[in-house]
Amino acid sequence: MTTTANIIETHGLCKHFGRRQAVADLDLSVPRGCAFGFLGHNGAGKTTVIRMLLGLTRADAGTMRILGRPVPAERAAALARVGAIVEEPNFHRHLTGRENLRVSAAARGPDARRRIDAALRRVGLSERADERVRSYSQGMRQRLGVARCLLADPELLILDEPMNGLDPGGILELRTMIARLTGEGRTVFLSSHLLDEVENTCDAAAVIDQGRLVAQGPISELVGGALELDIGCDSPRLALDLLDGDPAIATARQTADGLRIRLAGADGVASINERLVAAGIGVFRLAPVRESLEQRFLEITSRVGGQS
Amino acid sequence: MSLEVAREMLAVEILRLRRNRVLMAFSALLAIGSLVLMFCFEAVQHASSPATNAPAGGTVGFDHAVRMLGLMFGVLAAALIGTEAGTADLSSGVFRDLVATGRSRLALFAFRAPAAILVTLALDAVAFAIAIVATFLLAGGQPDPTLAVILQSAAWIVLSTTMAATLAVGVGSVSGSRGVTLTGVLGWLAIATPLLINVSSLGSVREGIMTVALSSLMPVSGGLGASIAVPTAVAVAVLAGWLAVPTALGAWKTVTGDA
Repeated sequence: MTTTANIIETHGLCKHFGRRQAVADLDLSVPRGCAFGFLGHNGAGKTTVIRMLLGLTRADAGTMRILGRPVPAERAAALARVGAIVEEPNFHRHLTGRENLRVSAAARGPDARRRIDAALRRVGLSERADERVRSYSQGMRQRLGVARCLLADPELLILDEPMNGLDPGGILELRTMIARLTGEGRTVFLSSHLLDEVENTCDAAAVIDQGRLVAQGPISELVGGALELDIGCDSPRLALDLLDGDPAIATARQTADGLRIRLAGADGVASINERLVAAGIGVFRLAPVRESLEQRFLEITSRVGGQS
Repeated sequence: MSLEVAREMLAVEILRLRRNRVLMAFSALLAIGSLVLMFCFEAVQHASSPATNAPAGGTVGFDHAVRMLGLMFGVLAAALIGTEAGTADLSSGVFRDLVATGRSRLALFAFRAPAAILVTLALDAVAFAIAIVATFLLAGGQPDPTLAVILQSAAWIVLSTTMAATLAVGVGSVSGSRGVTLTGVLGWLAIATPLLINVSSLGSVREGIMTVALSSLMPVSGGLGASIAVPTAVAVAVLAGWLAVPTALGAWKTVTGDA
């Protein structure tokens, strides 16, 4: 097993389709052992990046490393421990689930073939493994796709929009499965435009917009770029006057039962509380108000959109 | 690639083809059904008017059967199966998942034609066995083919099947579309080839037609394009070209195209 800190790294990755730039100068770092969300609007370039990583299409410029190995130069070795579902899991519909896994395992080698039964058990398809895939529901095909990924005993799973077409039960199942996989030390790289799903499922994320990376890091950092405080107190007007001009505070406004302030930095909460109490203002609530990933996503992607 | 991996990759290619019931039914109908129909029809004709119709079996019947398998319906069955082998991964979307395993694209391509040939030959073997039995059972006093002719005919049918299946796999791998490949390959074999063979103004250019080259190597008499004399060396070169060009194009597209 390779031990580099980042399981995926790209530098200056570019891809054009004709005159349209699909991916521009992308520097992506995916840490090992986490669930990593790859966010972007439809058409932002997520699938193109995944296709380049997997050697399905060529990059026009830039370098890529998967599991510490350069691709496409060492593509076979790099992808030997990678399982991937690109766009949607496709199968030969006239073959059974088990036969489809055998087709994939044949390309991977004898070890993969020995994992077929365990993979089917793991995704809960053992009992229907000998039925033709054409009789499978969307959710079952998605699970079979995950089973196909597991044939590689993957260190890295790349799932492109895995929640698409799943009902709430299917989404919950997949979320649980991803949590189990990361719990085993595997890395799950998950592209999605479903922001709440990424927020609920992933530890870290990158945001791509019009082919450009606009943010990446732990989810808590992505959504916590600007921390707001909801302060409940008994003299809101007095509190607002008191805090006016405080360098720790970027903006402040009065609410029905207190204040809503936006901090200039990560520190300052304790000193604000101290000043209010010292001034004889009764503070009965001091709660951080965090932006949702969705708010943050819309903020940063629309900003980029506005520049273009 | 280890022998075990190669064997398994070939096995799954064969599995993929033989589990396609519609494909196998149509191919069996072409390769076996047409031959059975021919013997039945000629047997009935002979029974109804022995003076004007020769027995269905014997040398004449065997020649008919070999031509049907090697130049007509057997070849069409090979083209059907080759088309499926060449296009199924692409049209189903499975090709991208196979590429994502890290296995070389050339290896993924390399097993398509052998699988198509083997599956077609399995049908041809049944058809050929029926042809031999019918040849001897329905000879009606006519001379029977010698063992040498039977063996040469079997080898020639293998050659013919290989050519048609490889052509279809190559075209299928380039186009990625069943419809385009079937139209192109079947159109070429069943419509364009007979027309071109009959255009005498083309002269020796017709020696470059695959079916003409195959006919010139056929161990039995008659057949499409048999009237055009082709030196054996030229026929071998033509067939090598028909084998190499579609294979090279199919491999190139598989290796270089977006998955």
